[in-house]
Amino acid sequence: MLKQLQSQVLSNRQISADFFELSMRWDKTAGIALPGQFLTIRVSQDSVPLLRRPFAFAGFDEPEQTASIIYQKRGRGTEILCGKQAGESLDVIGPLGNHFPVNDGQGESVAAAGGIGLGPILFLVNYLRERDVPVTFIFGCRNSSYIPDNTAFKTASPNICTDDGSVGFKGNTISYLEQNIKINDKSVLYGCGPEAMLKGLSGFADSVGAASFVSVEQVMACGVGACMGCVVKTASGYARSCKEGPVFSAKDIVWE
Amino acid sequence: MGMSVDLSVKIGSKTLPNPVGVASGTFGYGSEYEELLDLSCAGAIFTKAVTLEPRVGNDIPRIIETPSGMLNSIGLANAGVKKFVSEKMPYLKKLPCAIVANVAGATEPEYIQVVKELEEADGLWGYEINVSCPNVKEGGLAFGTDPGQVERLTSTLRKLTSRPLIIKLTPNVTDITVIARAAQSGGADAVSLINTLVGMVIDVKKKKPVLAAKTGGLSGPAVRPVGVALTYRVSRAVSIPVIGMGGISNADDALQYMLAGASAIQIGTTNFIDPRAPYTVLEGIREYCVGNDIDTVDRLRGIIS
Repeated sequence: MLKQLQSQVLSNRQISADFFELSMRWDKTAGIALPGQFLTIRVSQDSVPLLRRPFAFAGFDEPEQTASIIYQKRGRGTEILCGKQAGESLDVIGPLGNHFPVNDGQGESVAAAGGIGLGPILFLVNYLRERDVPVTFIFGCRNSSYIPDNTAFKTASPNICTDDGSVGFKGNTISYLEQNIKINDKSVLYGCGPEAMLKGLSGFADSVGAASFVSVEQVMACGVGACMGCVVKTASGYARSCKEGPVFSAKDIVWE
Repeated sequence: MGMSVDLSVKIGSKTLPNPVGVASGTFGYGSEYEELLDLSCAGAIFTKAVTLEPRVGNDIPRIIETPSGMLNSIGLANAGVKKFVSEKMPYLKKLPCAIVANVAGATEPEYIQVVKELEEADGLWGYEINVSCPNVKEGGLAFGTDPGQVERLTSTLRKLTSRPLIIKLTPNVTDITVIARAAQSGGADAVSLINTLVGMVIDVKKKKPVLAAKTGGLSGPAVRPVGVALTYRVSRAVSIPVIGMGGISNADDALQYMLAGASAIQIGTTNFIDPRAPYTVLEGIREYCVGNDIDTVDRLRGIIS
């Protein structure tokens, strides 16, 4: 049940070179969030920055009534968000968008995150494992300084790839998949990260007829399906990443 | 206190329950916001533009944030008039607010056909004729910058309907009052303004415009003083009601428009940021009237000479 909430910040801390994890109180009247769904935050009452900022859920604890996001400091909006202290109130709208479909357990599940695509994939990995669906988790980033230092990540048994080889596999997540992961037509792949990575993931899945689902990132204005600003090109025309997405079957997306 | 304020606004042969509307293109077809706002507080919902045929809209990227504003180049993406009537009207007509269909077209016959088909639909309160979209190649802005075409189109549509006919004006002209008077001469019941201002943002790293369509329409708090000034000028140039919009984020902003001469206002970009704004703006207008001993909102527009 989509709601606008005043959510209390529980913690907000830096977890890598420029990643932050923010945890907040979640009012149960807004219902539950599923992996892939997102929320929007009005980071300031000022007109700069103007628009609400979308963030995928990185975790959701129904009994504890908490939700978390992982975000990257990369502009005025996220800079302001970095300054939010525990106890402060956040103007939040959510849960928004669709979610990753859960693998029925027939075949192998593989979930890959590139950079700040980590949040929704981490949530998905934990969600699947809580439901006894085994999943291989892959995380790729530039170098060791981007590897998150938070419990949810460290306990999720990540297979780490770095572009410079400073930790784990040297290369990106797609090279890792190609060299280390055997999939078949019953496998289900999940991904969130840069567009080139999602396109690569889609191709890797297609090569054996496996299903693949990706969460796309687009600039959004309304976040609720009204403005038609955040569309992505799909085989059946433009689709709103905030409403029909942000999760799409990768083969439906028309890649640039 | 306890003083009651008459919030109603007369336009043509009909009355809006209050002066606060939500602007076309910023509120979808209402249902998108039903969980975030009690829709019954809105005086009017101006729908996403309706065209004769479905339109996929412009290439992406379509939006970019600017200082205190945003540029959009959506390109009138919509499912066409038939689907509007069959899929959107059943929900909209149950709402207590006035439903105003925003009508757009590339040619005069297209506007005519859309209005004819909408005349068959129950529950529509009136029409806002979009002759000012900056984001489509033909039609739209091409109509809205030519007073002769505005007058002819208005008088043609006037013959098709007794519902209120509102002409939405562009600020992208040398003298907006000429276009407003043309709409009035053609038989419009009101004019609404301003549509967005044409703008461009260039990505200097990529050395190209950010928006795929190169230019887009600027909206948000940045444009408010422009909208207030043009509302002031137009409301003195015509005798029909003026519906003001552009960068309204709170009751004070709305009151600026009403004091400038607007009979009613629309909230646009702010719906994206603060979906409860229609409610808080209406309550703020009411409180202002009570605090200033004004028993009817219609008196606001006559205060500044």
